[in-house]
Amino acid sequence: MKLLRSGKSVFVFQLSPREKQVLLETLELYPLVPASHHRLSNTGSPSESDENQRLLEESLAEQRKENRKQVQAMLEQPERFRETKNGLQFSLKHSEVEWLLQVLNDIRVGSWLALGEPEPGELPEISKQNLRYLMAMEVCGAFESLLLSAFGIAESPDWLE
Amino acid sequence: MAETETLPEIEHDEKTGEKSSLEPGWLVICWNDPVNLMTYVTHVFQTVFGWNKQKAEHHMLQVHRNGKSVLARTTMEKAEHYVHQLQKYTLHATMERES
Repeated sequence: MKLLRSGKSVFVFQLSPREKQVLLETLELYPLVPASHHRLSNTGSPSESDENQRLLEESLAEQRKENRKQVQAMLEQPERFRETKNGLQFSLKHSEVEWLLQVLNDIRVGSWLALGEPEPGELPEISKQNLRYLMAMEVCGAFESLLLSAFGIAESPDWLE
Repeated sequence: MAETETLPEIEHDEKTGEKSSLEPGWLVICWNDPVNLMTYVTHVFQTVFGWNKQKAEHHMLQVHRNGKSVLARTTMEKAEHYVHQLQKYTLHATMERES
């Protein structure tokens, strides 16, 4: 997948039918991060934080429900992927890129949690049980990088000093 | 590696002057993890706080190198809002009362 062009409000990407299949199959995994994973505070007293924590989880659950609906709508929208002689053209509004990033990162982080929160370079051996999470983590990272490059954000060598 | 953290400007609520949850004194903190992409974290900081790329990268690198970065010093309500926004993007963010 690569960025073909970006307008005032729409990005157009080109991707192959196989890349489309990988993207859609991966999106089917959403949501993966448990709502209870997020904590409002590391230090708040229980009486102070319980209610706020509950509200946070409710709010995040509502957000995910909306994201899930949007994912489903995208999956069922044939005109979203337009066939051309060079493959498929995939159009996304800027706001849609934002939620797609949230969705992909939920799958990436959820996969990482399912793998036992490994450190870089310490990924577990591939097994039948964890293969889909290992694949999903990598696939989501690749699609996220592509979407972020459309916003002009790329990794700098200075960051790794 | 120890680096000096630059705290964001304190936001003053001059209208009420009340000492309550409306008073600044809550820190929004983002914690390091090995899964979120550096580019992604930079983008989220730009989106949630409206920062330019340079400032977003500065805080992203603080998270990466120091394990955490204080992103805002504000009221309890705003801190909750920011934490919620950051968690929508699956970043590891919390709020703490400033000591």
